[in-house]
Amino acid sequence: MKDFEYIQPETVEAATAALATKENADWATAKARVFGGGQDLLGEMKTGLEEPSALVNVKWIQGLGGVTQADGGNLKFGATTKLRALEGLFSSGAFQVLSEAAKTIGSPQIRTQATLAGNLCQRPRCLYYRRPEAKCLKKGGDECFAYGGYNKFNAILGGGPSYIVHPSDMGPALMALDAQIEISDSKGTTEMALDDFFTLPSDGDVTRENVLRPDQVVISLRTGLDTPSEWRSTYLKFQERDGFDFALSAVALSLRVQNGAITDARIVLGGVAPRPWRCREAEQLLLGSMEAASLAKRGAAAADAALLGAEPLEHNAYKVPLTKGLLQRALRQLTA
Amino acid sequence: MTDRTNQPPSPSSLSRRAFLKGGVVASLTGAAVAGPNGTESVSVTRESAIATSLKGKVAVTLEINGAARDVSVEPRTTLLGALRDHLEPALTGTKLVCDGGNCGACTVLIDGAPVASCMTLALDAVGHNIRTIEGLGKPDDLSVVQEAFCAEDGLMCGFCTPGFVMAITAELESNPRATLDELKNSCAGNLCRCGTYPQIFDAAVRAARGASK
Amino acid sequence: MSTTPQQNADELAWPAPEKRRSIGKDTRRIDGPAKVTGMARYSHDVRLPGMVYARFVTCALPAAAIELDLTAALAVPGVVEVVRVVGDSTLYLGQPIAAVTAETPEAAAEGARAVAVTLTELPWAVTAEQSLAPDAPKVNPRGNIGRERTQEEGDIEAGFAASDAIVEATYTIPIQHHSCLETHGMVVDYRGGDSAVIHGSVQGTFALLDGPPDSLGLDASMVEGDVQHMGGGFGSKFGIGIEGKIACEIAKRLGRPVHLMMDRETEFHASGNRSGNSVTIKAGASKDGVIQALVADSNKLGGLSGGSYAGLPYVYSVANFSSTSRSVYTNTDGNRAFRAPGHPQASFGMESLIDELAYAIGKDLVEMRLANLPDDEQHSVWRRQLRRVADEIGWNEHPYKSAPGPHKVEGGREYVEGIGFGISVWGGGGYPSCEVEARVDREGSLIVSVGVQDLGTGSRTLVAMVAADEFGLEVHQVTARIGNTRFGNGVMSGGSVTTASLAPAVKDASNKMRAALIALVATNTGKDASALSFADGGVIVGDGLRVSWRDACALCPAGGLTTHGVFQKALQSSGVHGAQAARVRIDLVTGEVKVLKMVAIHDMGIALNPMAVRSQIQGAMVQAVSYALFEERLIDADLGIALNPNFESYRLANVHSIPEMTVIIDDEDGRGVIGIGEPPAIPGIGAIAGAIQNACGVRVRDMPLSPTKILIGLEELRRS
Repeated sequence: MKDFEYIQPETVEAATAALATKENADWATAKARVFGGGQDLLGEMKTGLEEPSALVNVKWIQGLGGVTQADGGNLKFGATTKLRALEGLFSSGAFQVLSEAAKTIGSPQIRTQATLAGNLCQRPRCLYYRRPEAKCLKKGGDECFAYGGYNKFNAILGGGPSYIVHPSDMGPALMALDAQIEISDSKGTTEMALDDFFTLPSDGDVTRENVLRPDQVVISLRTGLDTPSEWRSTYLKFQERDGFDFALSAVALSLRVQNGAITDARIVLGGVAPRPWRCREAEQLLLGSMEAASLAKRGAAAADAALLGAEPLEHNAYKVPLTKGLLQRALRQLTA
Repeated sequence: MTDRTNQPPSPSSLSRRAFLKGGVVASLTGAAVAGPNGTESVSVTRESAIATSLKGKVAVTLEINGAARDVSVEPRTTLLGALRDHLEPALTGTKLVCDGGNCGACTVLIDGAPVASCMTLALDAVGHNIRTIEGLGKPDDLSVVQEAFCAEDGLMCGFCTPGFVMAITAELESNPRATLDELKNSCAGNLCRCGTYPQIFDAAVRAARGASK
Repeated sequence: MSTTPQQNADELAWPAPEKRRSIGKDTRRIDGPAKVTGMARYSHDVRLPGMVYARFVTCALPAAAIELDLTAALAVPGVVEVVRVVGDSTLYLGQPIAAVTAETPEAAAEGARAVAVTLTELPWAVTAEQSLAPDAPKVNPRGNIGRERTQEEGDIEAGFAASDAIVEATYTIPIQHHSCLETHGMVVDYRGGDSAVIHGSVQGTFALLDGPPDSLGLDASMVEGDVQHMGGGFGSKFGIGIEGKIACEIAKRLGRPVHLMMDRETEFHASGNRSGNSVTIKAGASKDGVIQALVADSNKLGGLSGGSYAGLPYVYSVANFSSTSRSVYTNTDGNRAFRAPGHPQASFGMESLIDELAYAIGKDLVEMRLANLPDDEQHSVWRRQLRRVADEIGWNEHPYKSAPGPHKVEGGREYVEGIGFGISVWGGGGYPSCEVEARVDREGSLIVSVGVQDLGTGSRTLVAMVAADEFGLEVHQVTARIGNTRFGNGVMSGGSVTTASLAPAVKDASNKMRAALIALVATNTGKDASALSFADGGVIVGDGLRVSWRDACALCPAGGLTTHGVFQKALQSSGVHGAQAARVRIDLVTGEVKVLKMVAIHDMGIALNPMAVRSQIQGAMVQAVSYALFEERLIDADLGIALNPNFESYRLANVHSIPEMTVIIDDEDGRGVIGIGEPPAIPGIGAIAGAIQNACGVRVRDMPLSPTKILIGLEELRRS
């Protein structure tokens, strides 16, 4: 890789100031990159997909890591919270999905360094995107090579014109907890629903997967459940190779259970769409009693509804039964 | 629930700033103040509002296996590169295999936690306690894990071995009574092509028995 | 140094089992401590003063005319030189086209990126279909199809007429990468002058003298090759390759040591592979399970090389068959030997076919195999071995013997287990090549030297074990010096020949030394040499005498004693059979295959170091799990670009993929030593494929046996 300037701010203000150049307002011209755990970015730099002239290391910024209590029993996670720290935090309850998702990511070595925000902002693993010689849509080219090529790992939902899948595990998990994301730039701080942070190729910049600009820094993630103590959650991920792989399909499921009945639910899919894929209609079908037979029936209906709009490509039709199966299994496990 | 591994070294730590010697300090805009040869400059006091900037050759001190080791790196130099290619004498026990964080052969411990040194900048390791395979036992005085690998034939060509030994060492140091499943999880990021996994499991279990005594 | 006359050496034979002191016993690797501490020095690890680092730039297309602009690369700080290493055009995807040499690895990598390459695409073919198309470009000037071979026996028409069921199927195997963890390459220690040392990651130490002297313009006697440790070869590292040639040329030009080890991506496409295969089989069986006729037609995909295929009906005995195979050339790097070249491919097709025929006639999978294995005396061992692995894997208690298990999720059942089998054959055995020197000095050192390399199979340890056994010494009392061309000739480690070539020569040298020491003691004590022998601890006893090892050695002349050993045919033989069984669990919801258990039995004559033999066999089974479930070189057939030249998307089995393993060493003592490198790498993939179908009815005919394919297969079964 080319050498670069390494900028080490100790405050958010210093970081955003360092990023606040004219060229950094736009991904097309940006030369600086925010550098956290670096587990994706360094790989991109080694293969030449990224050639930043400056990295702004945000790991020295006090208060950007760690977990704190937020309103009403919710939690706030600093952007540079390490996945390793998350994986052992929750073994039950509303936030279990976070630890379960964190555990499935990469390897112990990667989780030591990788950050929560980095997991949300990592770039696609699409085989074509990762090849520098394939100038695909994601890299400013004209074509999604996966669409007519080897698309076993690509999108069945929300695809077009690019068919990448979003590689994040924490994205679906956090969205299943109605998370908000806090973002800073030199002008100040904003917060938005994580659901609004991610974009589809058809409704945003096709070269990006979210609304973050290169002069912005993710500050924190905050869960936004109503009465977290009434929620339970789980994350089921299926990989080609067990351990140390990206999802072929994943399901983040959270349920609010009141008086023995499911009164609210979140279903967010990973590995099947260019962004974490919320299934609102399917969620509604889950509401009701916890009686096993009824639940199984509603689970099947929800699975069908979740995949209703699926449009498999040549090599990824398996993702439809796989995702349906995972969703129903997650439901069984969470209500057992 | 504070994530301690996430915290930078304490602000008062000398080691944290020590690597600025001979480094370059920049203003908010990131413009570098380079010395005559683009390599030398002086350390300047920093306030928190000022972002330090490093460029070109940077002289740093890495704390490796308990010893302070001076080495000249660039921002792009990985910790693995610093160990294998820039330290004098080099520490080549840590292996370069995939250069992408996919195989675990370059595993070293930073403050006790396993990392892929090929996916770690050397600059980010300054001020931290780095341990490599050379920091465990010696051939005539093996660590418990190393001894177990020899006893159970947990190696063939041996190229993946240092990475596995480090990953399992990290697990057993933080979890001396680790189960086989926990031990497997600890090296799920390590690949072996000769196929020594079954013997590695035996070695890990043997080491766990030794470690928990 | 005087060479001791070869006197009084006994007729060579391996000692009877009860008389073995080192051999035949689980023995730790003598280089284990060096490897577990990071002290073992591989070629990658050699660091020399003034050393430069070189790196290849490779071709991103299967064939292209190449224009290079080196200006930017030469301007990268630290870059020393950039040279073109290809002619006007390339012939295969990933072919090296330029080499960048720099003061640091970082500068070399940046320089490689900075080489401006203009590729003008030339016509190419990367799949068999493309290569066989009427308008296909000429991959090989003599045509895209290699020499066709056909083996035929019997009357095929009559065989089909006698069949009660006929199966027709096509089985395909993708190209597999060796994936050596230490990439190909070498460090050339040349600093001008008239000598050089080459540290190479190769499977034959003496390969380092084949080419480098010419490239360096040096007399061969002034070049030393060194392979102290090497990080895996598996058949891909017999020669020095283009990487070795270029490294020497750079060293010659610069007069500086050169470190040229391929980067991982280059390694994937320019260092060989196991050829892919596609075989279409039509076969019929009668109700008694006997295969009456078989017609097989296979394409070997070995890139620019021929590919390998063991032919059908492989180990089975079929009266009426025709088996044809041919190579189909493509613009990818040529295949190289890879642990039992051609055998796993043949085994996969044949074992799969037998399963499918067995189900078609409702026959027990083991009975079906027994009905078709040859029943002559030489091969009857297979029947015993198959029954043994069937017992060990739990076949007798298994519910699905002649029809596959269920494919539906019902009554809370989400998982189902199945069992499969595979049979192997291999030659092995040694040949004259190794020249071993044993030397004893007055201080009692026993040093055994031979140039042979240790790939991780344990050759170094074996040298010490065989010598120690001769004198009753502890293994650690023997110094084994290997991996250097200054020592006597070695043998290339390929075809499972190393042990059977090496151990007899070590035994020969040791036996001569034993006789020489006894003669020395006899002369000095006036005893009859024939009454003396070595007891445990290296003590010479007999005729009322007891002379310690050190005292005996002290009698040596000033220069010590030296003996030389060569190959001894009688100490080895060849021919290895084997059978393996696999038990898998299928997740009917996800299609996940979990290999739960594998059992292997292989005969190998004397297992000199049973621990190393078990490791070797287990390693082969691990590789089979990896090959069966994950491995596949991906090239986009339209774009011609590599899609997975990295360990993220070219998946190798990891800790979670590994089954419980049982290894049965089928010791056949009277046969001497044989070698066990290749045989256990053969039957696993067929066994796993069979176990999958046995579990849930899904026959995946194209490897890898991915959950995604199984899930689609389950869906189809559920619909039908």
